Amino acid sequence: MITHHPSDELLAAFTQGELTASLSIAVAAHNELCPVCQEKVEKLNAQHAQMLFDTDNETVDEASNDIQEVELSWMSMIDDITDDDSQSLLVPIDIKSVQLSYDKVQLPRALSNVSLKKWSKLGDVSRARLELEEEPIRSSLLDISPGGVVPLHTHKGFELTLLLDGSFEDDMGTYHAGDFIWLDKSHTHSPRTTDGCLCYAVLDDAMEFKEGFSKLFNPIGSFLY
Amino acid sequence: MINSPHTVQGLDTHGNTNTMKDAQITQQLQQWLIAVANNRDKRAFAQLFSWFAPKILRYGVSHLNSSANAQELLQDTMTNVWKKAHYFNADKGAVTTWVYTIMRNASFDMLRKMQTQREEMLSDDIWPLVEAQTAQEGEYTDHLMQKEMKRYLSLLPDAQQQVIKGVYFQHLSQEELATQLGIPVGTVKSRLRLALSKLKQKMGGKL
Ligand SMILES: [Zn+2]
Repeated sequence: MITHHPSDELLAAFTQGELTASLSIAVAAHNELCPVCQEKVEKLNAQHAQMLFDTDNETVDEASNDIQEVELSWMSMIDDITDDDSQSLLVPIDIKSVQLSYDKVQLPRALSNVSLKKWSKLGDVSRARLELEEEPIRSSLLDISPGGVVPLHTHKGFELTLLLDGSFEDDMGTYHAGDFIWLDKSHTHSPRTTDGCLCYAVLDDAMEFKEGFSKLFNPIGSFLY
Repeated sequence: MINSPHTVQGLDTHGNTNTMKDAQITQQLQQWLIAVANNRDKRAFAQLFSWFAPKILRYGVSHLNSSANAQELLQDTMTNVWKKAHYFNADKGAVTTWVYTIMRNASFDMLRKMQTQREEMLSDDIWPLVEAQTAQEGEYTDHLMQKEMKRYLSLLPDAQQQVIKGVYFQHLSQEELATQLGIPVGTVKSRLRLALSKLKQKMGGKL
């Protein structure tokens, strides 16, 4: 049962194509599992379409003597487009599966054409970065093995975690597949998983480890970013 | 983020005329798009093009920062409208919503191409135009067929859709359907024949 959803602001920005690819993927992957947000996005699509298209200020902004020229260029574009009479055919999507520490798991459709870098492992966590080139924003898949714990940390920027498979707990509660968890500086937590889980994480800065002992884990702070 | 003065349809202060006009436009756009889907109708496409072009250009200029980019967006968007018209499903929403989705996707991919060195098109995975159709373990069967069937069905005139749905989805006999629709059995038969031959044509003999 999904209990954590993207905010309405985020859904609106998503619908308008205003989020980075990494966050768009996060919202899309959540929506693949969440009919509630999916429906909201469909409504938003219709609203934005209406705002944009159902306006009466129908004018071509160019001065009137340019109109003929504009129409000529449109005519040639129309000819150009309709010259090719073929229709697109559905290409079945190639859904990727990944072998994790605890199971083999299917990735969401939103990730089907994104390249993953190699997996690397530190402690209980294996990480594969996505090749999206959106520095300083980074996104990764995190495979946390059964019994795994991420030491208590906070975030310098924001941390978005989308739980794709399995479950984990922190001091704030238990999370299940589909949960979309947005944290920032004001949150400190230490996620742990009993049976293992797969997360999609987006961060815009390294994690900062809190407690004296956890400082030993500093490398993991930049590893997870 | 959506605090525009004209967000919600129906809260229309000018009486009914606008709503009526909107309804007419909605219907007109749909007729054109269906003509493109069914008959590759170039004149209908030109009509759609002229209706959407100024709006797409306006959006392109404000989102992509140059009129050259706006032109490219127009070309990309309308090419997809031409090539994908047969995937439009009127049950899922208006033509404007469908075109908006295509335009937003094209614009997203263009922006990414401008900002990164990467070439892959992510938008259709993030905002799928057609519901997920995966080639997973032989699942390519009834369910998919039914979905595909429904999409083609939505391209037929209402009267023809009615008979197909009645006979093939609700499993009514032709007599029962005739009674239910209040038309002669002969009409049901002829509509059914027409609808089937159109469907066959659309589906490339897969029926
Ligand atoms: Zn949701």
